Amino acid sequence: MIFPAADIVVEAPRATPLYAAAASVSDANLWTSVNGWSAPRIFTSVEAEYKAAKTHAAIADLGPLARYAVRGGDAAHFLARVTTAPAMRLKSGESARGLILDDLGGVIDLAEVSRLSEELFLLTTPTAHSRRLQLAARGLNAVAEDISADVAALGVFGPDAGDALAAAGLKTPGANVATSAMVRGVETAARPIQFGALSGVELIFPKLEALTVWERLQRRAGLAPIGLDALEILRIEAGAPRPGVDFLSAERTGSKNTRTPSEIGLAHLAPIDRGWFNGRRGLRYLAPSPSRGLVTLSIDSEIAAPGETVLAGGKPVGRLTSCALSPALKRIVAFADVSRATHGKDYEISLSPPDQELVGAKLLKTAESALASAYMGAQREATDSRR
Amino acid sequence: MAEAALQTQFAGRIEGGIDAIVLGAGADGLAAAAYLGKAGFTTVLLETGAEIGGVIQSREFAPGQLCTDGEHLIFALDPIAIEDLDLYRFGVSYASRRLETAYFFDDGRMFPLGGDLQGAANILPDEDLVARLSAFVRDVFELAVYLRPAFANPAAEVLEKVFAAAPSALARRLLRYGFAPATDVLDTMLPDGPVKTAMMSEACFRSAAPPDEAFSFMNLVRRWAGEASGLQGANAYPEGGAAGVINALRRSAQAAGVDIRAATPIKSILIEWDRAAGVELEGGGQIRAPIIVAAQNARRVFMDLIGPTGIGIDFQRAIAAAPPKIATGRLHLALKGVARDEKTKANMRRRLMYAPRTDALRLAFADARAGNIPEAMTIEAVFPSAFDAGAAEKMHVFSIMAHPLPADETVDDARREEITKAILRNLEKFAPSIEQRIAAVDLRLPSDFADAADSKTMAAKPGVLRQWTLAGAATTAANISGLYFCGPEAQIGAGLSCAAGRVAAKAAIRSAKRGVIAL
Repeated sequence: MIFPAADIVVEAPRATPLYAAAASVSDANLWTSVNGWSAPRIFTSVEAEYKAAKTHAAIADLGPLARYAVRGGDAAHFLARVTTAPAMRLKSGESARGLILDDLGGVIDLAEVSRLSEELFLLTTPTAHSRRLQLAARGLNAVAEDISADVAALGVFGPDAGDALAAAGLKTPGANVATSAMVRGVETAARPIQFGALSGVELIFPKLEALTVWERLQRRAGLAPIGLDALEILRIEAGAPRPGVDFLSAERTGSKNTRTPSEIGLAHLAPIDRGWFNGRRGLRYLAPSPSRGLVTLSIDSEIAAPGETVLAGGKPVGRLTSCALSPALKRIVAFADVSRATHGKDYEISLSPPDQELVGAKLLKTAESALASAYMGAQREATDSRR
Repeated sequence: MAEAALQTQFAGRIEGGIDAIVLGAGADGLAAAAYLGKAGFTTVLLETGAEIGGVIQSREFAPGQLCTDGEHLIFALDPIAIEDLDLYRFGVSYASRRLETAYFFDDGRMFPLGGDLQGAANILPDEDLVARLSAFVRDVFELAVYLRPAFANPAAEVLEKVFAAAPSALARRLLRYGFAPATDVLDTMLPDGPVKTAMMSEACFRSAAPPDEAFSFMNLVRRWAGEASGLQGANAYPEGGAAGVINALRRSAQAAGVDIRAATPIKSILIEWDRAAGVELEGGGQIRAPIIVAAQNARRVFMDLIGPTGIGIDFQRAIAAAPPKIATGRLHLALKGVARDEKTKANMRRRLMYAPRTDALRLAFADARAGNIPEAMTIEAVFPSAFDAGAAEKMHVFSIMAHPLPADETVDDARREEITKAILRNLEKFAPSIEQRIAAVDLRLPSDFADAADSKTMAAKPGVLRQWTLAGAATTAANISGLYFCGPEAQIGAGLSCAAGRVAAKAAIRSAKRGVIAL
């Protein structure tokens, strides 16, 4: 799950259940606020944290994300309505990614749905949507309870994530199946997650257990903590757009700045030939070829900043929305919002002063863009065969 | 018994060969069905209740005394629908075409205004007032005519087009009048006095927006955009009251071959892959059709008949929003004795309106919103028995609308009596000693409607801007192909109109002709 944009106006962010544990191992002591919660940006160094996650395993506090326990006989219908995730088809233990769309098909947020039992689901979203969930539940036998403040959540990412959890004596989920249990009256779950190319496990447990679990993972498995800055590099390399940074929620922007799933490169998460979800009819009425879209770029530079202009054929065609220096690629990886007509061409980035130069940029193939391409290809084939 | 037998007979049956189903036999449902029938579509009109007419129902409220619920005057009957559906041929006629209004005030004064508002000012004694009232009426009339398409069809694209294409002079007027409180506009345009007080009451009548709320003046613009018997801003009393118009609509629909089925409750609207496919009947069985025109209230159509999993969350939020806490009360009085002299008879063939002072009106809205019964309220009253030939032999029927009142969810007898007394107190301002002549009283409030959704629909109309937003969303019918909505939420402003039914039916006919809907 992707963190949303950091808050810039929160003066006194709340401490997540893992705050004390994270603070005790933070050399940099550099923090930001996400959804009103404190979130560590850097523990030791961005490069070291990034490498640890790529080569071994790293542990991250996922407490700032919004979480809901969804219960009731219509819980699956409810989630199939609110999100584009195929909640109706999920079997117990299975998880699926999706999006939250407005009625017209504009993207509000990302979502991850896990079925813990027949009538119990876990919904995780980057930002809180309590009001929307409350409205969507009207007329349905489903209740979405905000458990964000009641649970601690941490992610273990990297190739050795499973071994690390086993070394810590924690029950690990199967390759695709979540496990759940009741601990101190609160549903707890361990579920497999993907962070781009990195696989991992998300552990959700009662907040009173937070320090115990963190300590076990740190001491027994020797896991390094990873902060938001290193996760940002992994995110861009994976091609996962960040709400509030690479696109604005359709609930918070005018219709001109609303983005559809296709425009943020996540059309595969909202297939219009699947059963009903909110926004599907809106998507069916939209033009099949959007005029703009998010792309992931690899920039021939070690300096670039969000907002800088993207050129194609010497003409401005868009702007960078987020950037990070990839230690693996030794260059900037970035998201850019560009005109679709230029998709696939070589780009140039006009760096702002003092550098003020043009640097080359190429499309970067990512895990997410591969999924989107496969989906779009299948859609085209289906359309062709219908003809 | 017969109904149960009929339902058993149809249980499990699937009826096909139908092009269009219209749900709800109110004025808009009848108009829509007539349009579809005239266009050659095999049309079935389904009504849950035993009678057609929706909220416009005639009933005996006292021995031998009939009253009609719903509207008691016509001021916005869609002229296009009248012509298209040949309603004059099918029985619409007016007992009185240009009702003069007599305004009464709390100081006992009376001020008459002719039925033709454009020439009404000329009867005033003060030249300056004549000039200012004439300029005011002209300004508002021009704007009202310009906005008519957006009032008739609240679809977002129509609204955008109308607003964007306004010539500069009208655009300025739109900015000046469209978004302003009634108090601001009237304070600027008219001098203090009875004319301004009367216009203030007109602007707020049947609206949930108090006089100093933004956009509240638009309510008067909407009212004056309407026509009665071809005259803009006028009021007319149709032969047989509003029920006479309903009868003409029924005849028009029947002449167009519409199959009208009363006492046929619907269980659900069938949606198949984002397309309307028909309806499932309460007693079992289905009627299949590619076009459904829903002329029932939005909550019933979208929340009950389609269900939350078939409509958008943002749309659901709009239709499920709490209705305004303001209501209009309908009071019918049977009065002992019959007027014999011509002067009294002539007075009874007027629209009578009590206009409280603006500060009292403002307080009335605040009181009503807080759930209290206001001291002062605007009263609109007519004597149907003075218009309907032979209706008054021993008694007269006095039909009254009182506004604003609190929109109570439930009303017990004590509260009902309190409300009745408050209305009568205001009525006494221009009809002294009327209480001594009352033989029977009948009060209808929104909470009297058995269906909770209907009761919410009967609350006062929210501000025009909110109506536009809701109506725009509702008329897109949640983007379900083949489903068209013309329930009460599709209409901007109060009154018997049929414009929403016309717009919905014509949209369906256009889609079918373009092949968007396969018949």
